[in-house]
Amino acid sequence: MTDLVQTLGAGLLMGCVYGLLGLGIVIIFRASEAFNFAIGEFLVVGGFLFYLFYFDLHLPFLLALPLGLLASGAVGALIERLSIKPLLGRSPLSMTIITLGLASVLRASVQLIFGAHSYSFVIELPDLGLELGDLLFPSERVWAGLLSLAAFGLILFLLFRTRWGVAIRATSESQTKAMAFGIGARFILLLVWAVSSMCIAVAGVMISNFGALSYLTGIAGLRAIPVVLIGGMDSIGGALVGGLIVGVCEALVGSYLEPLGLVGFKEVAPYLLLLIVLFLRPYGLFGTVRIERV
Amino acid sequence: MLSVENLRVVYHDVISILNGVSLKATGGEISVIIGANGAGKTTLLRAIGGMLDLYEGDIIEGDIKIGKVSLRGLDSTDIMKKFSLTYVMEDRPVFWYLTIEENLAAAAYSRWDGAVKADMERVFEYFPVLGKLRRQKAGYTSGGEQQMLAIGMSLMTRPKILLFDEPSLGLAPLITEELFGIIQRLNQEGITILLVEQNAHAALQIGHHGYVLENGRVVLEGTAGALLENEDVREFYLGTGAKARKSYQEAKRYKRRKRWL
Repeated sequence: MTDLVQTLGAGLLMGCVYGLLGLGIVIIFRASEAFNFAIGEFLVVGGFLFYLFYFDLHLPFLLALPLGLLASGAVGALIERLSIKPLLGRSPLSMTIITLGLASVLRASVQLIFGAHSYSFVIELPDLGLELGDLLFPSERVWAGLLSLAAFGLILFLLFRTRWGVAIRATSESQTKAMAFGIGARFILLLVWAVSSMCIAVAGVMISNFGALSYLTGIAGLRAIPVVLIGGMDSIGGALVGGLIVGVCEALVGSYLEPLGLVGFKEVAPYLLLLIVLFLRPYGLFGTVRIERV
Repeated sequence: MLSVENLRVVYHDVISILNGVSLKATGGEISVIIGANGAGKTTLLRAIGGMLDLYEGDIIEGDIKIGKVSLRGLDSTDIMKKFSLTYVMEDRPVFWYLTIEENLAAAAYSRWDGAVKADMERVFEYFPVLGKLRRQKAGYTSGGEQQMLAIGMSLMTRPKILLFDEPSLGLAPLITEELFGIIQRLNQEGITILLVEQNAHAALQIGHHGYVLENGRVVLEGTAGALLENEDVREFYLGTGAKARKSYQEAKRYKRRKRWL
């Protein structure tokens, strides 16, 4: 029983981080119907930008995190200007393909600049570790879950309570209609990419904090694929639920199936779950039911 | 005053839609453009509203001016900012997944003054039914309500010039009448209006000046009253006039005149 609670708890904490990754994909998908396959590389870039401020410049965490995130946002915006904006109005598929190319370019650039070795990455944060009897949740995992939730909440606030949020949601529905009412769709797209890369950067920092950061950390970003497909590509709440499901699924498989000899099955399990969900609900659990007018 | 001078527009560099359109929308008046499908009405409004780019269209000749200033090369957001001109696209350009309140807020995006809330209340005064549905998603409201919302959204941009593209499309006659009454009221409050319509009768009733567009050209123009009386307009656009069967040779007299207007 303790075992189960421990597993579920760890899965949920990790799930929050995955949910944040999913959110990074979802807001871009909603705004431009493109899937950002470069998510893993955005994650690494975000991690390294934070690394520069925190470990190289020795800034306090409370200063380094916002600075790192702002830098990630700027990088995301720059990438959008250079690679996505010229494609505005074309098929979303071309944008999706571009992100595949972006992934290679970014991965190679990170290797060129930072090298291929691992950087040790331990942020000094107040100890939030939980120890209750036999239960143990390490501090960095608790921080990861909490910070991800906070970031998620901030983005929800941005989307549903501010003028830019309304404009972003309007633009996601139709760029043409938005332009006709004076919403500069080009600026909104820039904003969306910046917000999305900040989101992914938070997840990147938290995942690196589990041990080390190298260009290979980006592989964790691939977890976003089952997350958004299970939750529904265009559902913000779905991203969180999808993240939690993937986190829990991974944890359960890790502690109950892998000891039976299925080593590495943890990596595959979310995709199996994804297949099952897609058989039952092709739009994902919370994918938009399109408004149909009769 | 909005003037279009000898405007030629092509799509995808080959499909010629407007072949030299000239017209004027005098300040403070309702100018009406009528024409059949494919005449180029929507293209004309897209050109004025700065939306051609999004449809791969280009102005290859001619100019659009407000006063003495040319609009060529500006996009819709610039045009809205500089000239307070808002283009209400055809087919009820509302955001289905936003609530009615959010739709109005989205349309006020380009404004930074604090009067947005007050303007919203004013829109609800114009259209009380929208006020009742303010938290409803726009996609679930009726066609007439959506068109009212579209007009309300255009008001949120504080326009001086409004372009309407077929506001009566797909609406019941009673609702059309109500909408046209509102358009007339907006005009009386000082907004210059350029109204594109297939429903020629209703549009000419409220308009001051009218143009007939065919194959990308203005083939007839005159005061709304004169057009309502014109024999060709009556026959081809109003469905009244000559009742007996006629031979094709006699059709569209103005087409056989030696010169275009």
